[in-house]
Amino acid sequence: MFGKESKRIPKTPYYLMIPPQLLIWVVVIFPLLWAIYISFHDWNPTISPERTFVGLQNYINVFRDERFIGALLRMLYYSGVGVTIQLVLGTAIALALVEYVRSERLRTFLLVLFLLPMMMAEAVAAQMWTLLITDTGTINNILIWLGLNPIGWRSRELALTTIMIVDIWQWTALPLLIAYAARISIPESLYESSRLDGASKWLILRKITLPYMRVPLAIAFLLRFMDSYKFLDKVFIMTYGGPGTATELPTFYLYQTAFSYFKVGYGAAMSWIFGIIAVVGMFIFWRLAKAQ
Amino acid sequence: MRKKINWGRGLGITALVVYGIFILFPIYWTVNTSFKEIGDVYKVPPSFIPTRFILDAYRFIFQGTGRVALFNSLVVAAVSTAIAVVLGTMASYAYSRYPFTPLTNEGAQFNLLTVRMFPPIAFLLPIFWMWKRFGLLDTYFALIITYTAFNLPLAVWLLKGFMDALPRSIEEASYVDGYSFWQTVRRVVLPLIGSGLAATVALCWIFIWNEFIIAYLLGGRNVILYTAYLPSLRRGMRIMWNQIAALSVLAIIPSIIILVLFRKYLVKIYLRG
Repeated sequence: MFGKESKRIPKTPYYLMIPPQLLIWVVVIFPLLWAIYISFHDWNPTISPERTFVGLQNYINVFRDERFIGALLRMLYYSGVGVTIQLVLGTAIALALVEYVRSERLRTFLLVLFLLPMMMAEAVAAQMWTLLITDTGTINNILIWLGLNPIGWRSRELALTTIMIVDIWQWTALPLLIAYAARISIPESLYESSRLDGASKWLILRKITLPYMRVPLAIAFLLRFMDSYKFLDKVFIMTYGGPGTATELPTFYLYQTAFSYFKVGYGAAMSWIFGIIAVVGMFIFWRLAKAQ
Repeated sequence: MRKKINWGRGLGITALVVYGIFILFPIYWTVNTSFKEIGDVYKVPPSFIPTRFILDAYRFIFQGTGRVALFNSLVVAAVSTAIAVVLGTMASYAYSRYPFTPLTNEGAQFNLLTVRMFPPIAFLLPIFWMWKRFGLLDTYFALIITYTAFNLPLAVWLLKGFMDALPRSIEEASYVDGYSFWQTVRRVVLPLIGSGLAATVALCWIFIWNEFIIAYLLGGRNVILYTAYLPSLRRGMRIMWNQIAALSVLAIIPSIIILVLFRKYLVKIYLRG
């Protein structure tokens, strides 16, 4: 019996891994390999079915493409500023929730309310906000009603910031949740003893709460940063990249290249550059998680 | 004796109230709009409380493409979640219990996670052409398989956490009692991680339910999901905001249910990092 056992153990993981691996290979890895092949070609199926081999030219062009660079810079502003605000706001709200809401029921209710935006579709959130921020939308109607000047939320200057605000509305929930989870896992005895020592609230926050939450918050920042890099739903629905290219983030530019202009080879090269940036980010994240 | 005013407390509670209003207002406004006639949507001053509940918008959604789109989303998300969770259970069990073979070691686990980190749009270019080549664009099959592959890493990652928390000695005891491998998995392991399994199902489902760009690019005509249907309501001379709002309200309902049911798990999952 034990002989059978020891033989069984090394085989089981292979049997278990075959179906999941098969799926990943067919749907993910094989198409990505094909994307490498096509990225060495110039192919626009709307013009001609012919694919011309161009070597590394597509990759070189991506780095020379001002629209791509512009989109990356916009991403740095959108994600850098946006995610920082989400993190600070989320942490503050989570701490206030634990500190000032005594009733367990009320606290759970508020937590569920605050998490709700995170659980709904980006596309739905974007639609809901578009109703509020069009030129004749609700917020401007309220401003007019109050005798104030309407604001061009989707103007060239403001549009990207408007989308950032919607992102803050939807995704502050994630750092909030992580900060909340981290805060309630700090042993209460630490707080009691420092209060007995006469430490001020500010000192407790700086010396106990924040050091404890450092790693979870760093993870929250990276998770959010990666996600805001990945999604294009809000841009697609709220502004479609416009006006001009004012809200064109890299994901949206990639969408345009691959599915509006049908520059497939160029789009494939961009996809790969894009993916590699994401994987490098992911690797940093993995190391951080390990360090914890 | 005069009580000292607690500024910190006042500030904290004000912040909570302001943030609460900020979160609630767009949702409240969407519900409000969904009960209006289209002519009332643009009124100045806006009406904050619907005086009459007009159900035209909901009627439109339920009589037309909206119903089909919601139904499609429901089916695609359910089937794809089912497959992803079954495959995810297999993979996560192998990862958790045999983390030393070439297919299950740390490197392999990392590779699976990269699938999750790659931006979907970067995958979609080759996947789109693959399904097109096979003549499977705009079919349930392509959508379900694609979603399954995208959700598998999430399912594995969540389930592995629950599996890791389960002591091996329980399985060993069940082998000693004469259970075979499959009997052990079915009768011992799965029941013990039952609630974790339920949370995984819920999260995978909601991710597909909420997804937009895959639905938009791989579906659209024959198989239209509600997220892909939403933008089409904005075309035309007059934007039917009340219909968009009604569809949005319907789309949020599953999110609310899942959030309320699984709120404890959300905290737990993120506690684990």
